[in-house]
Amino acid sequence: MRSFEYAAPVTVPDALSRSGEGAAYLAGGTTLVDLMKLNVVRPERVVDINALPLTGVGFDGQRLRMGALERMSDVATHPAVATEYPVLREALLHSASPQLRNMASIGGNLLQRTRCGYFRDTAMPCNKREPGSGCPAQQGQNRGHAILGTSDSCVATHPSDACVALVALDASVELAGPEGERTVRLDDFYRLPGDTPHVENALAPGELLAAVEVPHLPWARNSAYVKVRDRAAYEFAVVSVAAALDLRDGVVADVRLAAGGVGTKPWRLTAVEDALRGRELTEETADEAAARSADGARPLAHNAFKIPLLRRTLTHVLLRLGGRS
Amino acid sequence: MTAPLIGTRVGRVDGRFKVTGEATYTADHTAAGMAHGYLVLASVGGGELLSMDTAAAEAAPGVLAVYSPFNPLKLQSIKTTPDLSFVGQFWLPLQDTTIRHYGQIIGLVVAESYEEARYAASLVTATYEERTPKTDLKAGIPRAVAPPIPVNYEEPELNLLADGVGSVEEALAASEVRVAADYSQPVDTPTAIEPHAVLATWEGGVLTLQVGTQSAVGSAMTTAEALGIDVFQVRVVSPVVGGAFGGKMYLFGHPLLTAVAARELNRPIKTVLTQEQVFTVTGHRSGVAQRIELGASREGVLNAVKHDAWSGFSASGVLFESAAHTTSRVLYKSPNIHVGQKIVPLDLPPTTWVRAPGEQPGSFALESAMDELAVELGIDPIELRMRNYADTMPGREVPWSSKHLDECYRIGAERFGWADRAERPGTQADGDWLVGQGMAGTVYPGNLLPTTVAVVTLRPDGGATVSSATADPGTGMLTVLAMVCAQELGIPLDRVTPLLGDSVLPLNFGAFGSMGTASTASAVAQAAFVARAELIRLAVSDERSPFHGLDPETVEYQEGRLSAPGGRQADFGELLTLLESAGVDGTGASAPGAEKLRYAIHSFGAHFCEVRVHRFTRETRVSRWTSVIDAGQIINEVTARGQIVGGVLFGLGQALLEDARPEAGTGRFANANLADYLLPVHADMPDFDVHFLRHPDTSFNQIGARGIGEIGAVGSAAAIANAVYHATGVRVRDLPITVDKLL
Repeated sequence: MRSFEYAAPVTVPDALSRSGEGAAYLAGGTTLVDLMKLNVVRPERVVDINALPLTGVGFDGQRLRMGALERMSDVATHPAVATEYPVLREALLHSASPQLRNMASIGGNLLQRTRCGYFRDTAMPCNKREPGSGCPAQQGQNRGHAILGTSDSCVATHPSDACVALVALDASVELAGPEGERTVRLDDFYRLPGDTPHVENALAPGELLAAVEVPHLPWARNSAYVKVRDRAAYEFAVVSVAAALDLRDGVVADVRLAAGGVGTKPWRLTAVEDALRGRELTEETADEAAARSADGARPLAHNAFKIPLLRRTLTHVLLRLGGRS
Repeated sequence: MTAPLIGTRVGRVDGRFKVTGEATYTADHTAAGMAHGYLVLASVGGGELLSMDTAAAEAAPGVLAVYSPFNPLKLQSIKTTPDLSFVGQFWLPLQDTTIRHYGQIIGLVVAESYEEARYAASLVTATYEERTPKTDLKAGIPRAVAPPIPVNYEEPELNLLADGVGSVEEALAASEVRVAADYSQPVDTPTAIEPHAVLATWEGGVLTLQVGTQSAVGSAMTTAEALGIDVFQVRVVSPVVGGAFGGKMYLFGHPLLTAVAARELNRPIKTVLTQEQVFTVTGHRSGVAQRIELGASREGVLNAVKHDAWSGFSASGVLFESAAHTTSRVLYKSPNIHVGQKIVPLDLPPTTWVRAPGEQPGSFALESAMDELAVELGIDPIELRMRNYADTMPGREVPWSSKHLDECYRIGAERFGWADRAERPGTQADGDWLVGQGMAGTVYPGNLLPTTVAVVTLRPDGGATVSSATADPGTGMLTVLAMVCAQELGIPLDRVTPLLGDSVLPLNFGAFGSMGTASTASAVAQAAFVARAELIRLAVSDERSPFHGLDPETVEYQEGRLSAPGGRQADFGELLTLLESAGVDGTGASAPGAEKLRYAIHSFGAHFCEVRVHRFTRETRVSRWTSVIDAGQIINEVTARGQIVGGVLFGLGQALLEDARPEAGTGRFANANLADYLLPVHADMPDFDVHFLRHPDTSFNQIGARGIGEIGAVGSAAAIANAVYHATGVRVRDLPITVDKLL
């Protein structure tokens, strides 16, 4: 590990003034410290934001608001999250391990870096880590890599579970910067890799993710997060689906769907949602609509199975929420 | 009478010490003036190292030295000292510029702190003349060769044919029913939670090496050889080992470099490997490809077994998986048996011992094939196995020393509820989960270590010390030492101090090959017997003793107390105190004898499991498990059960998860860390029912116990694969069984 400067400001303006090029914010540290040890991220200044007043989870009937420093475990166990947004609770509880969830912040979770093994190994080229150096994952071991939103520069999968639920719920993030605050829809916050995979989101240099907001969606009480993984716990998704279903007399009045483990960002499945609205929910209609999840998919040598797996997982979660399974 | 301990349930004597974090592992240790080593590894898979630029590293803060093949630490030539058997590879690091595999050691940075050493190591650059390594097992099968050494003490290609039968192919062709299939599995690793680490300290020309190892003695011998010093100048200390599984049988290169660097710099040096480094600096189990053909009558009586295996073999050495010779050679009666073993030379890190080497892959293939034959014939898998039950070892005229596999099948079936299993596959479900049950047999040889010595010391404080240079990498050996000693002396367990994990203790090659308990327990029992005799000899010969002058035959030892006619008695502690004795030693030894000539010696068992496969997502979870194990006397049911459960979890990892993936072109393991190389976690554990038959095998050793460290890992992957077939109707022959293979 390189030497770095360390500061622990107690106000947001102070934190912002210490940030900028070469600086990294430290919250739970479960991603940053890991990547610093691996020499993948090499900040000159580490700004510890744990003392900032970016805390609190509140639900006022209109929206859920979470300070960025709230720990994943605290969000997961909040009563309003449990009753109003089961999909978010399940996504959080299926993430990592209890120890990590007790450390990791919700803001940090939204900003966690990919598990791509080439990104994490400085002996290998990686366009995300060193722009222009190449992407060995395209021809390498890519079972875990993305099939959606990929480019010739990058096929790294976005690893978060919670983000998948939040994108399905149309969440937004509040960003604090030297120029003031702004709010960005989470789905727009994440950038596709294109030919600039090192730019992962809309944060400007020095900007700080301050809070997450989720609008109230009454029928999200009927929601779920299904995470398909190779082992039963402590493992990233092979494929995951966040779903909320408003079913009336057996017909899909409305639905929200997003997928994880398959995209370079949390992947909202609007085509599948559109194909379901107004349809009677049966295994056949669910499966037929779920086929649209592969729209635009670019499978690699080892991950083509994610196309049928995503389709089957969608069918499963829809039937479960529809009480058909 | 003190209640007997052997065969009871005794909690680990070091349990509290470990779970409270009091136990210190190698990486936790420090020494005055200690510096830190950090390895530099090759980032190509083969070729020659042309140059290394170490200037920036040497100038970095805190750096004391940067060693490389261009500024080497001198070790003895492996050509002139071939007996480096515990290095675990055919070459020593930094002695030449050849790159033999990706991630091999090409440098060692020594600095004041770990962080400084690690940072400086990142500044070292190297140039290579690259050669494309051979890393693909299946692609290499056409160039496979017969191993240059015997396979499990026999010919690499062994044909046991009935009179008048020309070949196994002929026997297969003459069989009424045949099944044939190819099986394969990838590289897996013995990765333990404690990474490999070493702390080397020189004092007065004597090297103390603190290192987590399965063999302190082997490590000391090899270190002395490599450094060109006398074995008495090396002490290897390894009292606590955080898991080994075969991977800490050998030292590999980093302890030797660390030891020489410590001598050069005149500082204690500690080198701790990262988990990523463990994957390439130490060893792994090679991938194995297998083909099995079975020929049988319609009634399910085997007429021919043909089992060929192709195992990866690292150009760095030293072990290949003897898959067929350890399983199809042994398990079933068949008039015609062919087992063949070939090796595929690969440019990967060393292939080494990993729990049940040979048996683990071999049993997956054989016990899957037997299931396929049972399906083909419409015969229950247990019934098929009973129709081919071997009463004598095939091709040998000797009986087994103790074999109760039939009892394992029967009791296991009862405990598991095998009779309730649906006859046809793919017909049981619980909600969205398809349910299936499978079984498989398991076998592992009973072997003894070379000469194994233990010393029992009766102390004047009334306690006893039992010592032997064995290891306890989580096996429970420390507890077994204490239990056997306490029982043989008839004193409470808490009065016994067990010592192990130090090369200066009485000779013991350590914990491997399921030989530790079988070898050591008998030596301890004998040592305790001798110590009691020595105590009596002292009691009758010392003038101050109340027993002085008595015929030793009239002095009785019972439960720590000597007594003789006339009411004379004394506890041994009192007596030794009275006689101002520092203590009385008894030495015991065990060694292999003629038992292997008279008997075939194996442990046996049967695994039964239930799996659930999700109808939509195809995730496989193991929900229920029964193992019935025939391993002779069980010394401690608590630690023995732990061994079986741990072994089965190895099989679960083999069946469903473990897959170290070398990349084409480099051999770099794409998932060389514990987040991406998947091992089972607690949530993957089924409910376990482990039952031991407990028929003491006194033809094998005095204590009647065979080893149990590996037998759980044998057959368990086949039981799972067979259950997955039963749940889904899909037969997966290429491990691991991941969702993509069941879609």
